Amino acid sequence: MNLITTHELAVYAGETQLLQPMSLTLSAGERLTILGQTGSGKSLLAQAIMGNLPSSLRCTGQVELFGETVEERFRPALWGNKLSLLPQEPWNALSPLMKVGNQLVETYRWVAGQKKAQAQANAEQVLTDYGLASSDHKRVDELSGGMAQRVAIACAMAGGAPVLLADEPTKGLDVSRRDQVVQLLLKQSDQGALVTITHDVAVARQIGGRVMVMKQGVLVEDGQAEEVLNTPQHPYTQSLIEADPVRWPKGSETHFAEQGDALIQVNQLAIGRGNTILVSDLNFTVHTGEVIGVVGDSGCGKSTLGDTLLNLTPAMAGRVERFSSADQYRWQKLYQDPTAAVSHAVSLRTLLMDMVSLHKVDTDRIEPLMARLGLDDDLLNRTASQISGGELQRFCMLRVLLLDPVFLFADEPTSRLDPITTREVSQLLVDAAKEQGCAVMLVSHDPALIEKRCDRVIQLTT
Amino acid sequence: MRALLLKRGLQLIAVAWGVGTLTFLLMRALPGDMAYRIAAGRYGMDATDTTSADIVRAELGLDQSAIAAYGQWFIDLLSLNLGRSLVSGSLVIDELWHMLGHSVSLAIAGSILSLFIAVPIGLASAWKGGWLDRLVLSVSTAMRALPVFVIGLLMIILFALEWQLLPVAGYDTAFHLILPALTLGLSMAAVSARVVHVEAKRVFGSTFYEFARTKGLTHVQAFRRHGVRNIAVPVVAFFGIQLITMIEGVVMIESLFSWPGIGHGLVHAIFSRDIPVIQGAALMMGILFVVMNTLVDIACYYLDPRGGQLQ
Amino acid sequence: MNRLKLSLSQKIGFSLLLVLVLYSAGATFLQAGDSASQNLSHILSAPDGQFWLGTDHYGRNMWLRLAEALQLSLMMAVLCVLTASITGVTLGVLAATRGHTLDRLLDFVVTLILALPGLVLVLIFAAIAPGSFLVLYIAIALIQWIEYFRVTRAIVQRLAVSPAVQSSKLMGFDNWYLFKRHYWPVIAPQLFPLAAFGAANAVLMMASLGFVSVGIQPPTAELGQMIVELFPYYSEAPWLLAQPLIVLAMFVLACHLCGKGAEQ
Repeated sequence: MNLITTHELAVYAGETQLLQPMSLTLSAGERLTILGQTGSGKSLLAQAIMGNLPSSLRCTGQVELFGETVEERFRPALWGNKLSLLPQEPWNALSPLMKVGNQLVETYRWVAGQKKAQAQANAEQVLTDYGLASSDHKRVDELSGGMAQRVAIACAMAGGAPVLLADEPTKGLDVSRRDQVVQLLLKQSDQGALVTITHDVAVARQIGGRVMVMKQGVLVEDGQAEEVLNTPQHPYTQSLIEADPVRWPKGSETHFAEQGDALIQVNQLAIGRGNTILVSDLNFTVHTGEVIGVVGDSGCGKSTLGDTLLNLTPAMAGRVERFSSADQYRWQKLYQDPTAAVSHAVSLRTLLMDMVSLHKVDTDRIEPLMARLGLDDDLLNRTASQISGGELQRFCMLRVLLLDPVFLFADEPTSRLDPITTREVSQLLVDAAKEQGCAVMLVSHDPALIEKRCDRVIQLTT
Repeated sequence: MRALLLKRGLQLIAVAWGVGTLTFLLMRALPGDMAYRIAAGRYGMDATDTTSADIVRAELGLDQSAIAAYGQWFIDLLSLNLGRSLVSGSLVIDELWHMLGHSVSLAIAGSILSLFIAVPIGLASAWKGGWLDRLVLSVSTAMRALPVFVIGLLMIILFALEWQLLPVAGYDTAFHLILPALTLGLSMAAVSARVVHVEAKRVFGSTFYEFARTKGLTHVQAFRRHGVRNIAVPVVAFFGIQLITMIEGVVMIESLFSWPGIGHGLVHAIFSRDIPVIQGAALMMGILFVVMNTLVDIACYYLDPRGGQLQ
Repeated sequence: MNRLKLSLSQKIGFSLLLVLVLYSAGATFLQAGDSASQNLSHILSAPDGQFWLGTDHYGRNMWLRLAEALQLSLMMAVLCVLTASITGVTLGVLAATRGHTLDRLLDFVVTLILALPGLVLVLIFAAIAPGSFLVLYIAIALIQWIEYFRVTRAIVQRLAVSPAVQSSKLMGFDNWYLFKRHYWPVIAPQLFPLAAFGAANAVLMMASLGFVSVGIQPPTAELGQMIVELFPYYSEAPWLLAQPLIVLAMFVLACHLCGKGAEQ
């Protein structure tokens, strides 16, 4: 018997089709992964199957669950004990004021219909199994993203539903935590069927089973995971897979340019915020023209290191010595979220010209550099809110590079960009900086990206 | 939490200092011979002579230098010696106690009524949306445009003058409380119903509420376990903001309905320039305000132990 | 920035406001006379060709008196909004950018003023100088600047540590630039609703004082005071009581509609 069958399931906003009619089947024990970039309509598919689309959207077609057609309004009765959804962003999915232990207990009690004592015993057991025994009495704001996601998985499964739909279950997680979550999901799918929605090729690879690749609401490729991921047929699938840093070719020739003179020397440096020391005993030297990767778990002080090197945050102990007398404005930084890093009040041209007139930048340099960064002159007439994140990050790079920086701290400059753009932007950044002989420190949570882009790596551990 | 309580303690001192200083200035700024006026007020025009004026002058420290008088003023204030009313001659503190009961009963009745109006309407309009939402929005916008004394006037005109259902002014029976409390309740609910609406909509549309449903809880279970408290936090915090509206409403409503509370007392004292009563009533209002704010702070803290999330 | 795109409620609000301003400014051009002269042989008359809105219990021309009262209210609103917004924004930016001491000091002042409900503070001020427009204005502005101050300070504090401002500082831009490009564009749209609600509150505050007879003193026409004066004649001449009520409610509604439209 098929657990899920959809016939021509499509989603519309008004008259606009957001999801092309889709027919799929899922039988017991099967694993299905829906792969696509953000905005490709894959989350809508999960919601359309669950029957919890926002009221502004409507869906057409049929959904069969456990062998019979179930209309949208009857589907809530199946939630929890037949069909369960693991939403994106577990931090927002757990109730903010209730202890997480109770959120699991209530599911056993009210959804699985267990007695109070049994529900409590079950919840305790599962939290222990998931390595969360001590987090029972915490609220979600006291948990890390990975912990919250594990609690959410436990809650989604507690009702005993054989079918789990997981919507971007690894979004925003570090690689190690991502793998933990995937393992949990796999364990779960042994007992039922699993539908995973993800943008992450590595996750699709780990889960295996069947893969459906979606682009802007349209299914472009469908097949077994090994087949689709190893020998992709559709160009879109190919570019998705190529965008995975593991598959990037090792950088261009300019990468191994001669190392220059020492620029910054760090001795016994301790960094931190307020009164808390995050990392101590740092010793390294940055040379001109060098690209250094900085890695470490989230919250370990990667951004703080940048702020300390740029004199934005005082060092807690130790010394930072600069061997260059370049003006302060030539020590620059690129930000994680480009939309938060520029003013949205005026056009990009105004912002650019503000800077050009302040530092008397030669205007003849703008055009070639823009061409190099793939920026259209037309783009400058818009404001930061009107262009994409990738374009805006390249605009930020344009401004920074025009200042002839001697040192550039790039703080996860690609983490908000999709994989294809990530590849381009990180390559451009490294090449352009190398050409100018600028030292770059590149922060990323993705070890593969660092490996492909950097000359050497500094690992931060607390 | 400690920082908050400290801040409230500071505010209590600020109230005493501010009210004390303003009323002191007020007394010094009064035209004419203060002592004569007070003596006349207390003993009657005919019985006033230089001797009785001198007694008053000494009693109020009007013969002292400004700084000495200011010091004396505060010593009296801190020892809760609020003096006597210039009009009735009775101890201010006794009058205040009497008024306090009336004001508190009006404030409590009004707040409870506003909750009974705002919560069901706010929840229903958030749940149902559509025409109900638009209707509630229009009525609440219209109500907000009416100052509280205008709402009171309309109530008097409708219930007391046209339909003759309820008494207008006075304080003899519980019926007398109905119109003032309803006026206060309506004027507060006009705003808070929208706050309940907005917060309920936020919660109903939140990811965690959706998840509570998809993990299998029914509507009622999800609302009871994840709706109520999450909606209550910002609504209670808003009640703290509304305390200003409430106290200002109490002042106006008491004056309109001749309800013998502190607001009525304050306005009367200002009208007849009865400085000790002005000081006492303003002080009492300030203390009430700070105490109620503190209670709201504590309630918020227990409802939302995360703290610092609310503005 | 679509500053000029008005929502429906804003359009209604601005139209109402325009009607009120035109009436208050142009009333005397349309009907000559003066608002203070009494005519005891012609009291409580209904609107007619001679007196467009009738006459009050002293036989005074309501059309002119109402316009005069409205002028007073509008003046109070404009003065309070200007004073409070300029003071509040300036101090808010300074508190958020000029170090801890000033911030703590201003925070103390705010705590002090907020310790009393606004109306009570205004009442005490009114007692110091009865019937003084100036003192009333000072008292209301003294309360209202706080709102602008808090909003501005919160915005600037948040922005001052934002990547955008950090980036501009790293590029060597000065404080004026930070204000011009980063702070002001975010503050400005917030000011309009504050100003609209502030204008409504200033007018309400003055009318409330008039209503309890401790505000602007007769014979100057003032909305709250007119309401309380005309209430006793409610059964003989309900149209008279209705006039100041409607004007007051119209003004507050207009402000709320303008302000709320801008918030969304």
